[in-house]
Amino acid sequence: MANLFTMRVLVVEDEKKTAAFIRKALQAEDFAVDVCHNGEDAWNAARLTSFDAIVLDIMLPGRDGLSLLRQLRDRKNLTPILLLSARGEVNERVEGLNSGADDYLAKPFVIAELVARVRCLGRRGSDTRAAVLQVADLTLDTISREARRANAPIELTSREYRLLEFLMRSAGRICGRMAILEQVWDYDFDPGSNIVDVNVMRLREKIDGQFETKLLHTVRGLGYVLKGPP
Amino acid sequence: MTIRTRLTLWFALVLVLSLTAMGVLSYYELVVEPRDRAQAEAPGEEVGEALAWCGVPALVFGLGGGWWLMRRALAPIAALSNAAERINEHHLAERLPRTGSGDELDRLTQVFNEMTERLEQSFARIHEFTLHASHELKTPLTVIHGELETALHNQSLSVEQRSRLESELDEIQRLARIVNGLNLLTKAGAGQIPLSREPVRLDELVREACSDAQSLGRPYQIRVNLAGCEQVLVTGDRHRLRQLLLNLADNAVKYNSPQGTVTLELGRVAQAAQITIANTGPGIAPELVPRIFDPFFRGDASHSLAADGCGLGLSIARWIANAHGGLIEITSVPGRMTTARVRLPIAAAESG
Repeated sequence: MANLFTMRVLVVEDEKKTAAFIRKALQAEDFAVDVCHNGEDAWNAARLTSFDAIVLDIMLPGRDGLSLLRQLRDRKNLTPILLLSARGEVNERVEGLNSGADDYLAKPFVIAELVARVRCLGRRGSDTRAAVLQVADLTLDTISREARRANAPIELTSREYRLLEFLMRSAGRICGRMAILEQVWDYDFDPGSNIVDVNVMRLREKIDGQFETKLLHTVRGLGYVLKGPP
Repeated sequence: MTIRTRLTLWFALVLVLSLTAMGVLSYYELVVEPRDRAQAEAPGEEVGEALAWCGVPALVFGLGGGWWLMRRALAPIAALSNAAERINEHHLAERLPRTGSGDELDRLTQVFNEMTERLEQSFARIHEFTLHASHELKTPLTVIHGELETALHNQSLSVEQRSRLESELDEIQRLARIVNGLNLLTKAGAGQIPLSREPVRLDELVREACSDAQSLGRPYQIRVNLAGCEQVLVTGDRHRLRQLLLNLADNAVKYNSPQGTVTLELGRVAQAAQITIANTGPGIAPELVPRIFDPFFRGDASHSLAADGCGLGLSIARWIANAHGGLIEITSVPGRMTTARVRLPIAAAESG
């Protein structure tokens, strides 16, 4: 069952249903998941057990998420923390990151995105940034900024390049619109435009247009995923 | 003492004073003076002279007194209306100063203050309600979204079931966008959204909006031109200004007609930076233009290319422009051209 490489995640969320589906989704990805419904329990759990990542809701009964976060950091506990918040304010995000959180996700979120981010947090530190990314016969040289499919060069605008780089670095995982907006457009809120979708469509024309095997797929309602044939 | 009593007393005083003045003067004119003088004048002449000598000062005194009296009586009303003018949606906390004399005006001030207080309370309640509602809605939205998403992982779903779940997911996301927008607007209305104030190169943002408009317009063969783009520095919140421009660029494409055009321009007009985004398309009927910034207002959405927004974009755009000390206006010639203009103050460092 649990092997050496299983990531152990603590989920701190007072809303039981939300906690339940986060647990289910993380378990489906083979994470070991502990759940706490309030700040006190979470504080005790985090002191006693070493987790690979903590998913922490800001609004909690008793000790709230931000003060819990500060206490952990004061105690030199450097477990990667993903903050969740229903308020979704820009300043809250900044405050959270300044207090030592590693990532922030506003509710309502796409679970696939939460899972991807938690996985990212667990990998932090061991992340090697390859210079040439490859998915099937699509390659992206991040130094010369050159994309090729089946060895034929593809012309990309700078936005399309960043989009492709992000999708290739997260190859095989669903990238939600919000994650793309953050990483590629540097937006930390939803601008209420389908700018992501039109750019993904354009990019798809360029990389998949004339090829039999499609690499860039839409996961309706959730986002996009770049992956090679199974 | 009521104003009526006070005015009556004051009026009586002025009357008594004028009459006394008239009496004293006529006594002097009719009794004292003839005694001193050697020869008597004709009685008719004497009466005329007496009237001129006594009546005119009494009249002047009476008029002056009356004017002073009215002014004194009306001054608090003028002060009241001035203060009432200052009170609006954003200055509801202001109260008019009471004189404490217990007269009609003091009572009026009191009633007015109580009314403002009730208004302030109901505004605060509406604001709190919207804020709580938009916040409370997020938890069930998170749960529904999560459960739909989990359900979609079930590989045994039929195509029909899957497509229904996906369509529900789309609607949940749309709802989430509306809730987020409402939350933003409510907080913005209460001044609870802090904006950073950093130097921002507006021309860079306009070029970016131009390329965003190109991407957005490509599926509909909409041509996007940049008519001019002067280098302009403004002070403000880079993220919010980008949101403002993307919003307008998005609208310029959405409410266009296929193969139409969008023209962006950035220039300077009277110490201000002016961004113009003009688009072809059906436009907005003149009678609807004043309402276009209202939340959830959609003129005739049936003409638009992709009316899937949350209906709050322009309200948010107006808040961003105003919060930067700027203005936004939209004019439209139906069937020809719709133009959005944003004016923002140029950064102090640049305008010197």
